[in-house]
Amino acid sequence: MVGSNRVVLGTGIVHVTGDAKLPMAEEKELRRKLVQQALDALQSSEKR
Amino acid sequence: MRVVHYLNQFFGGIGAEEHAGAELEFRAGAVGPGKLLEELFGDGAQIILTIVCGDNHAVEHQEEIIAAVVEKLKNTPADLFVAGPCFDAGRYGMAAGALCNAVQSQLGIPAVSAMHEENPGVDLYREALYIVDSGASTLKMREVLARMASIGKKLVGKEEIGLPAAAGYLARGLLRDQLVKEKAATRLVNMLLTKLRNDKFTSEMAPTAFAPVPMPAAVKDVSKAKVMLITDGGLVPKGNPDRIQGTAATRWGAYNIQGRDDLCAADYEVSHGGYDTRFVQESPDRLVPLDALREMEKNGVIGKLHDEFLSTCGRSNPLSNTRRLGREMVEKIKREGVDAVILTST
Repeated sequence: MVGSNRVVLGTGIVHVTGDAKLPMAEEKELRRKLVQQALDALQSSEKR
Repeated sequence: MRVVHYLNQFFGGIGAEEHAGAELEFRAGAVGPGKLLEELFGDGAQIILTIVCGDNHAVEHQEEIIAAVVEKLKNTPADLFVAGPCFDAGRYGMAAGALCNAVQSQLGIPAVSAMHEENPGVDLYREALYIVDSGASTLKMREVLARMASIGKKLVGKEEIGLPAAAGYLARGLLRDQLVKEKAATRLVNMLLTKLRNDKFTSEMAPTAFAPVPMPAAVKDVSKAKVMLITDGGLVPKGNPDRIQGTAATRWGAYNIQGRDDLCAADYEVSHGGYDTRFVQESPDRLVPLDALREMEKNGVIGKLHDEFLSTCGRSNPLSNTRRLGREMVEKIKREGVDAVILTST
C-alpha cells in the first residue's frame, strides 16, 4: 500500500489473514501470528 | 466586472517577513500587482477591494480571517475573487487557497489563485480551485496575472475554461468525457512512434505522485490500547445494507461486532469485483481477523477491540474519492477514541 509506514505481508490477496490450504487449527495459528506482527509493528517506530 | 483581490503583507506593500504578523485589512481599489491585474482584465474591470493580511497572521487565525472576509464580501458586489499570485510562498498559498475555497463555496463567487506546483496550498485546494501554475519566480508576474485574468473572465462569463495545459492551470484531478477523432490504438501507436523519434509527446495518463506520509508515532502499549479493524476488501453484512459498490466505491460502512468471537460466513458477503472472494466468503476472518483479536482482547494482549469494524472496497478508486473516504473514517476513529488501527487490504 503506497505511503503506508507499517506493512505486514499477508498470506495472499484472496485470504490476507488466513490460508485456505491449511487445516483450521493451523490457519488460526497463522492468523494469530500475523495479527501479532501487526501489533508489534504498531508499537515500533521502525518503517517496515 | 468587479473584482476582489487578496494579497499578503509583502505584495500588499506593508513589508517583508518582519511584518508577517500584520493583521487583516481592507483597502479600496487595486494595490501592488492588482494594478497590473486590473489593466490585464481590461473591459472596464475594476478591483473594488483589496484584502491584505500578513502570512503568519493569516495561517494562525485562518478561521477568523475566513469568517471576516466572507462577512465583508456579503456586502460587497463582487463578481470574482482573486488571490495571489503566491508563487512558492507556502503560508501565502495556504491562506489564499482557504479564502478562495470559502468565498467560492459559501458565497458562490468564483475564485482563481496562482501558485508554484510545490506550494502546500496546491495539495490542499487543487481539486476545489483553478490555480494558475505560476512557477516559483516572481519575474513571470505579468504572464501569470494574464492567465489569472483570462481564467477569471471565463469563470465570470461561465465559459468553458479548457484543459489545464492549454489554459495554464494546475490539473484538478477531474475526469470528463471527450470526443476525439482517433481511436485509442491509433493514438497509442502515434505516441510510440513520436517517442521512438525522441520527439516530445504528451501521455494521456498523468502519473500520480504521492506525497510522503509521515509515520504516526508508535503505540506505547497495545495492552492498554483500543484497537480497530478496517478493511478495503469489501466485507459487508449480508444484503450489503450500505450498498457499498464493488468497484470505485463512494461509501464505507461501520459494522457491529460486539459480543462476536468470530465472523460467521452466513452473516456476511463480499462486495469487491477485483479478487476471487470465495475464500473470504467461506471464512470472513481470513479478511477481518476478528477471532484472533478477540482472543487477544480476552488474554489482555490488547486493551479493547472496538465494537465496530469499518469496511469499503478499494478497487479502481480515484484518489480524490479514497482521500475523502479516508478523511471520513479518520473523523470517526478520532471521535471514538481509537488508539490503533489494523487495516487489512486485498
